[in-house]
Amino acid sequence: MTATGTTRGRRRRGAGAWPTYTLLLAGAALLLIPFYWMLSNSLKTEAEASIIPPTLLPGQFLWSNYPDALAKMGFTNALANTVVITTLCVIGQVLSSSMVGFGFARFRFRGRGFLFLLMLSTMMLPPQVSMIPLFIGFRYLGMIDTFWPLILPLWLGTPFYVFMFRQFFSQVPEELIEAARIDGAGNWMIYWRLMLPLSGPVIAIVAIYTFMFTWNDFLGPLIYINDPQNNTLALALNVFNGRYGVSNVQLLMAASFVTMLPCIALFFAAQRYFVDTGATSGVKG
Amino acid sequence: MKLTRALRILLTLAAGLAVVWSFIHVGTRTLRQWGADRFDQRTELTVLHWGDNAETDIVASLVEAFEAENPDIRVNRIHASDYDAKLNTMFAAGGPPDLFYLGSGQLPKMAGMGLLEPLDERIAADARAAETPWLDAFFPVLIDAFRYDGQRIGAGPLYGIPKDFTTMVMYINLDLFHRAGVAPPYNGWTWEEFDDAMRKIAQLTDPSGKVYGGVLATWPDVLRQLVWSHGGDFFTDADLTDVTLDEPGAQAALRRIQRLRFEERTIYNATTGDAQGLGEQEFYTGRIGVVGPIGRWRTPRFRSIDTFAWDVVPLPHEPGVDPRSAIVTVCWAMASASRHKDEAFRLLRFLCGPEGQKLTARSGLAIPPTRAAAESDDFLQPGLPPANAGLFIDLMDNARVAQMPQETEFARYLNEEIDQAIRLNRLTPEAAAAHVERRWLDELGSPLRQNTFPVMRWDVIGAVAAGVVLLAGGLLFAWLRKEKLGSIDRAHERAGWFFISPWIVGFLALTLGPMVVSLLLSVSRWTSMQPLSRAEYVGLSNYTHLFTHDVGFIKSLWVTFYYAALAVPVLQVAALLVAVLMNQAVRGITVFRTIFFVPSVVSGVALATLWVMIFDPDKGILNRVLNVFLNPLGFAAPDWFGADAEAFAIPAFVIMALWGVGAGMVIYLAGLKNIPASLYEAARIDGAGRVRRFFTITIPMLSPLIFFNLVMSLIGSFQIFTQVYVMTGGGPGDATLVYVLKLYREAFEYHKMGYASAMAWVLFIVLLALTLAVVKSSKRWVHYEGLR
Repeated sequence: MTATGTTRGRRRRGAGAWPTYTLLLAGAALLLIPFYWMLSNSLKTEAEASIIPPTLLPGQFLWSNYPDALAKMGFTNALANTVVITTLCVIGQVLSSSMVGFGFARFRFRGRGFLFLLMLSTMMLPPQVSMIPLFIGFRYLGMIDTFWPLILPLWLGTPFYVFMFRQFFSQVPEELIEAARIDGAGNWMIYWRLMLPLSGPVIAIVAIYTFMFTWNDFLGPLIYINDPQNNTLALALNVFNGRYGVSNVQLLMAASFVTMLPCIALFFAAQRYFVDTGATSGVKG
Repeated sequence: MKLTRALRILLTLAAGLAVVWSFIHVGTRTLRQWGADRFDQRTELTVLHWGDNAETDIVASLVEAFEAENPDIRVNRIHASDYDAKLNTMFAAGGPPDLFYLGSGQLPKMAGMGLLEPLDERIAADARAAETPWLDAFFPVLIDAFRYDGQRIGAGPLYGIPKDFTTMVMYINLDLFHRAGVAPPYNGWTWEEFDDAMRKIAQLTDPSGKVYGGVLATWPDVLRQLVWSHGGDFFTDADLTDVTLDEPGAQAALRRIQRLRFEERTIYNATTGDAQGLGEQEFYTGRIGVVGPIGRWRTPRFRSIDTFAWDVVPLPHEPGVDPRSAIVTVCWAMASASRHKDEAFRLLRFLCGPEGQKLTARSGLAIPPTRAAAESDDFLQPGLPPANAGLFIDLMDNARVAQMPQETEFARYLNEEIDQAIRLNRLTPEAAAAHVERRWLDELGSPLRQNTFPVMRWDVIGAVAAGVVLLAGGLLFAWLRKEKLGSIDRAHERAGWFFISPWIVGFLALTLGPMVVSLLLSVSRWTSMQPLSRAEYVGLSNYTHLFTHDVGFIKSLWVTFYYAALAVPVLQVAALLVAVLMNQAVRGITVFRTIFFVPSVVSGVALATLWVMIFDPDKGILNRVLNVFLNPLGFAAPDWFGADAEAFAIPAFVIMALWGVGAGMVIYLAGLKNIPASLYEAARIDGAGRVRRFFTITIPMLSPLIFFNLVMSLIGSFQIFTQVYVMTGGGPGDATLVYVLKLYREAFEYHKMGYASAMAWVLFIVLLALTLAVVKSSKRWVHYEGLR
C-alpha cells in the first residue's frame, strides 16, 4: 500500500479534517478493543481471570500461560497438520485454477461459453448440498481420517479463482503468446513459463485467500478428521475451548491468539494484496 | 524501509522452515504408522475413550500392561474430547473402534441400531472356565444398566461391562452454610429446607462480591433426578410414549427451579459453558453454597480448593417421596462390527479387571463398579475431602437407572423446551411440558415412523445412471464430430479441454454427481451407521416430516432468516460507509486502513472463542462498557447468549461479523477509486452537495459491486456455522439453532443422511429463489456503466 493510494482531490489538512479523524479514531478504537481484551486476558492468572467484574489490565503479566496453553492444546502436532494441509491446498488451488482459467481465456472450443457460465453458476450452490454425498464417497475410498478429503477438492479448481485467472489471462496481449509460439513453445510451456510468471498478483491473492480459508476451515476437518493426532488447529482449539473455556479462560485466550497469529502475520507481510487489489480484480472488467 | 525488508525476509524464512518442518513431522508420523500397519504381525485393536489427563493415564497404563501380557495384540488407543461426535463419525466412517466407552444413556440408541455386540455368551463361557464368576462381584444394578431388550433397559442381552459409575449428590460449601447458620443436611433435607438454605446463603452477599445460594444442574439426566425427588417422572407407561411432565410432581420441580432462578434469584442461572460444567467454576471460587445434582467427577478438582471446607450431601426431596438416586455409569462396549472379537473380549475383561478398578478408585473421578473396590480405602481415601464419601456408595442401596426411549429426539425436545422455561423464563412449566409432549407425539406420528418402506433399489438406480452417462457421452461425442474442424481448430479444442479438465473432473465428481446422489438420498431413509444397501425409499416423507413434524426445522429457518435479514444489509451499509471514510484524503489514512482491515483476517474458531470472552455478561468487556451508559437510564445490557438469547443472540453474531467489516470495505474501496473524479467535479459545478453526490454518483457507480456483494453475502449468511457451533451449540433452547448447524447435527450426530439431504435441498431452493429475486430486481438498480 502506498501513500499515492489516495488519488482523488487534494489532501485536506488542519481544521477541516477533524470530523474525519474523530470517526477514524473512534472506529479504530472499537475495532482494536477485542484484540486488547484477548491479549490482556491471556496474561492473567487463573484467579484474576475469574474475577467479576473483570480487571481491565492484568495485575501481573503471566507469560507462562502461552507455553502452558500450547502444551495442553497439542499445538505442535496440530500446527504441523495444518501447515501441511494448507500448503498442499494453496499449491493445488493456484495450479488448478490457473490452468482452468488459462483454458477458458486463451482457447476457442465448442461449448466454452456454456461451460464458463455453468462454472460461474455453481458459485451460487450452497456446499451443503454436496457435503453428504462427498462424505459417503470419501468413506468408500477409505479416506476418512486422512487429509485427502480436505486437500483433493482444491486441486480441481474453484470457480471464483478460475474466474480471476481467466480475467487476467484474457488481458495478456496476443503478441506475447505468438512470440513464444514462434520460439517453439507448446501450450504447456506457454502456460508454465509465460502465463504463470506473469500472473504474480493474481497468484498472490488466490494463495492468500486459500490460505486463510484452509487455515480457519472448521466444518471440513470436523467431518473428516477423527484421530486427535490428525487434528488441525481449528479442531484443536475447539477441543481446547470445550475443556478449558470455562475454567481457564486465560489459557483459551492465549491459545486463540497463537492460532490466529499466522493469519495476522500473513496480512502484514502481504498487505498490499489485501488492501489495494483486494478481491476485486476479478469482479470488475 | 530496510527494516521492513529484513522483517519480510525473516518472516518468509520462518514460514519456509515451518513448512519443511511440518512435512517432516507429518511424513515421519505417517511412515511410522504405515510401517506399523505393514510389518507389525500383531492383531490391532482400537479403543476409544474420553477423560482428562488422569483418566487418560489410567487407560494408557492399563493398555500398556495388557500389551505386555499379550504379545500378540497391539492396541491403538484414541482419546476423544468431542466424544459422541467422534464415536458416531467412526461408526459412520465404517471403522468403529473395537472397544469404546459408552454411557448408559446412549445404550438404547446404539443397541437399537444393532451396533453393539452382545456379551452374554462370552461371559457364560468365561464363567464355566473360572471358579468364581467375575461378573458377580459387580453391583447388580450396574450390570442391569447395560441390558437392553429393544424397549427397556434392565432386561435382555448385556452390551457392556461397567467400568465405573457415580450416584448423584449435592456438593456444599461448609463455610457458607456455617456463616448462614444452616446445618449441613447430612441426613437428607426437604425441598423447603433447601429453598430456605438458598435464601439464607444468598443474603451473605456483601460489597466484596455476589453470593448465590447455589446452582442447580438441569440437563435431561439430572433434571430427571430433580423430578423424581418431587414425586414425578418423565414417563410412567412401560413403552415410554406417554410424557408425564404435565403431572404435579414434574410441574412442581420445574416451578421450583423457575422460581429460585428468576423470582427469588437465590440460585445462579449460569448461561455460559456446557451443561455439565455448570456451576463448577462458581463453586470453586466460593461464591455459591451448593452445586448439584452432580456426580463424583467434580471431586478431584474440588480437592484443590484451599479457601473453604466442603462436603457432599444427598439431594433434597419432597416429604413422603422416597429419595432415589439416579446412576450415571459408563461401560466398555464392543462394536458388533469388530473384526477381532476374541482379542477384544480379552482386552475388555482386562480393562474392567481389578487393576483397572483400583486405578479408577484412586483417581477419585468415579466409583469402581464392584462393592469390594468401592468400599476400599483406595476409593474412600480417608483424610481427603469429601469426608462424607461413603454417601456415594450408600445411595446405591436405593438407586435406579433412568429409562429413556430409543429415539434420541426425546432428550433433544426435552432439553430445548424445558430450557425455554427454566433457563430463559419464556414459557411457563405447563406450556413447556405441553410443547415437549406435542413435539414428541408429532415425532412418533410422523409418516417416517408410521409407515414401512421398500429398500432403495440401488442396482436399478445404478443401471439408469450408467445408461444416462453413456447416452450423454455418446451425444456429446456425436455433437463434437458433427462439424469437421481444421487442424488448428482441433488443436485449440484439444488444448482447451485439456486445460479445463481439472474443473470438468471437479464438476462431475464434486458437484454434479454429489447433487444427484443428494437428491436420491433426500427421498430415502438411511442411517449412515448402517450400510448403504439398507437405505429405504420413503418418497417425499422426509420433506413432509420437515415441514409438518419438525418444529426445530421451522425454527432453524426463522433463526437463519433473522440472521440474514440483519447481517446482509447491516454489513453492506457498514462496509460501504467505512470504504467512503477510508477514501478520504487525510494524513495517516493508510494506517487506519490497516487497522480497519486487520480484524477481518481473524475467522473460524479463534474468532468465536475470542468473542465468547467479549459477550460474557459477567467477565466480558462489552457489557461492562454498555452498562456504564445503560444503567443510568434504567436499562441493563443484555445477557447475549443467556436469558436474552431469543432476541439478542443473533444480533450478537451480527456484531461479530461487523468486526470483520474490512473484507467488504476493501472491495468497495477499490470500486470507489475507479470512479472518475470528473463525475464529482461536474456534479459539484452543478451545485450538488456531498449527500446528493453520494446518492447520485457513488451508489450508482458502485451498484455492480453492491449487487455482487449482496448475492455473495446472502449465500454466505445462510451458511453461518462455526461461530454458532463453538459459542452456543444452537442453544440456549433452540434460540441459535441456525440452518447449517441443524443440518450438520441431523447428518453427522444423528446420522439421518436422507433427512439431512432433504434439508440441503430445501436450503438450495430457498437460496436459489432469493438469489433470483435479487438478480431480477437488479435490472432496476444496477448500472453497468460503473464497470467500464
